[in-house]
Amino acid sequence: MSIVIEQLRYVVLGTRDLEAAARFAGAELGLQALPPGTGEQAFRSDERQYSLVYSSAAPRRHAVGLELRDEAALLAALQALQARGIAAARDATLAARRNVRALAAFTTPGGLCLELVVRPQNQGWRFFPARDSGVAGLAALALRSTDVAADEALLVDLFGLQVRDWIGDAAYLGMDAAHHRLALFPAAAAGVLAVEFEVQGLDQVMQQYHRLRALPQAVAHGPGRRPVSGQAFVTFAGPDAVYYSFVAEGERIDAASARRPRQFAMRADAHCAWGSDCAIAELVAGAAVQRPSLRGVPSA
Amino acid sequence: MIHLRDVSYVRLGTRDLEGATRYATAILGLEVAERGHGAAYFKSDQREHTLCYFEGDPADQVVAFEVDTRAELDAAGAELERLGHPVHRGTAGEAQQRKVRDFIGFRDPTGNRIELVWRPQMSARRYHGTRDAGITGFSHVGLCTTDAARDEAFWTSVCNARVSDRIGDAPLLRIDEVHHKIALFPTTRAGIQHINHQVASADDVQRSLHHLRGHGIPVVFGPGRHPTSGARFLYFEGPDGMVYEYSSGVSSIADELLYRERQFEFAPPGFCMWGAEPQIREFRK
Repeated sequence: MSIVIEQLRYVVLGTRDLEAAARFAGAELGLQALPPGTGEQAFRSDERQYSLVYSSAAPRRHAVGLELRDEAALLAALQALQARGIAAARDATLAARRNVRALAAFTTPGGLCLELVVRPQNQGWRFFPARDSGVAGLAALALRSTDVAADEALLVDLFGLQVRDWIGDAAYLGMDAAHHRLALFPAAAAGVLAVEFEVQGLDQVMQQYHRLRALPQAVAHGPGRRPVSGQAFVTFAGPDAVYYSFVAEGERIDAASARRPRQFAMRADAHCAWGSDCAIAELVAGAAVQRPSLRGVPSA
Repeated sequence: MIHLRDVSYVRLGTRDLEGATRYATAILGLEVAERGHGAAYFKSDQREHTLCYFEGDPADQVVAFEVDTRAELDAAGAELERLGHPVHRGTAGEAQQRKVRDFIGFRDPTGNRIELVWRPQMSARRYHGTRDAGITGFSHVGLCTTDAARDEAFWTSVCNARVSDRIGDAPLLRIDEVHHKIALFPTTRAGIQHINHQVASADDVQRSLHHLRGHGIPVVFGPGRHPTSGARFLYFEGPDGMVYEYSSGVSSIADELLYRERQFEFAPPGFCMWGAEPQIREFRK
């Protein structure tokens, strides 16, 4: 029984101010809001019922939804996790809240909250963006991990992800034709570093850059092109110390090709081929990577 | 010969600009391009605007067509005057209101207000609808005619229109490859009979049917399919009694030499090959 993660499905982000986060998702990202939930607000970005959820329950809790094919894969995953001494259990209540058939949540050695889901729901009607941002779907997550090596080993050995490239100790992991779906960055505390949305093309990346240019703090990195994935990107600050990226034109990886992961140096030129400035500590060599502080939320 | 390049925009007077704007956005799905000075401009495609509602008499209705050069505009003005159609040369202020560089206004033999425009403004920003109606652009108008044969002769001999098909005496006229950009429907008044927006697929037509019903908008014809152009359609009521149409899949006539117009009966089967019955006055005997 192979346990293969088939899709990066959703991300759940804790927020101190649900209303402000929801405003950001609509006005800045152009995502389509679902009817509000209790203490939660979900957003569509593609054919899925949702791909981003803001939750006011715990401001620091971030969770990543990863899709498994069926119940058998979920059971096999639970056994394999227990064999490695990682506590994991099925959660019917959370499954109902996430609108999936089955769900099991666990925490990786590096502190990441992962939710394994079976049969998450798609939506019959096409995605209609709140504004013309050109968003085409949830593309990838950049994650902060306190133990990148252990998390990389778990995701590769147990769940069939492939290391596509490394920049320093940071690992870019893929599961399909996209260069990467998860990227793990060494950090003092675990969580989501950046949520990356695919947009239709370079026009949309640059339009977003010019939209944000008037706000000096907003653009954190880019516009640029990533030498590892070939993606054009712009990364900007969002609510609750999470970054957001619009990416386009990335390399497609042919499953049949004999591709080997490459090692790049943790240097500015490995992150951007255009030479853009980077304000993201996790992407800067030798920077003291602190847990982001959230005003009003204890750092412990 | 006046060479009409494309249908450009429609201007409609209204006593309730607020209500018309609400309809054009929430119901029709157009995007507000600009508001102010007693008018609202709406985008439906790559053009800066294709529909304008202004505070005024709802009977005040204008459709505009684009010509290529200012010389053609001047020549058209002279030709129309010679044929006995008084021509109004647009002032700079009026041209600005219409977002064109220059224009002339006149009335066709029925009395429909027509404008010929030079260099209408394009938008750098693509159209993004207020709702997901799937609109791909403003495409054609139906015009009232008090004498179909006389008006057909005007549009085809004074202008460059060609007859693509006829439903009874009502000619469907093309000015480019699209099956029709103008249709003339016999009646006793002057004015715009309907305004068409193209949508991306037949699914968009059907989905709008439920959206319109849900908002209590009277659907006056369809969903159906025109035997003439092959387009799937839906006609529904707008402000001040205007009829709007969504359609998808209109045929194009690439070979001018091989194409021969056809005659269809002026009865429901001539308008719809699926059996829908029009509740539109000008589509009924």
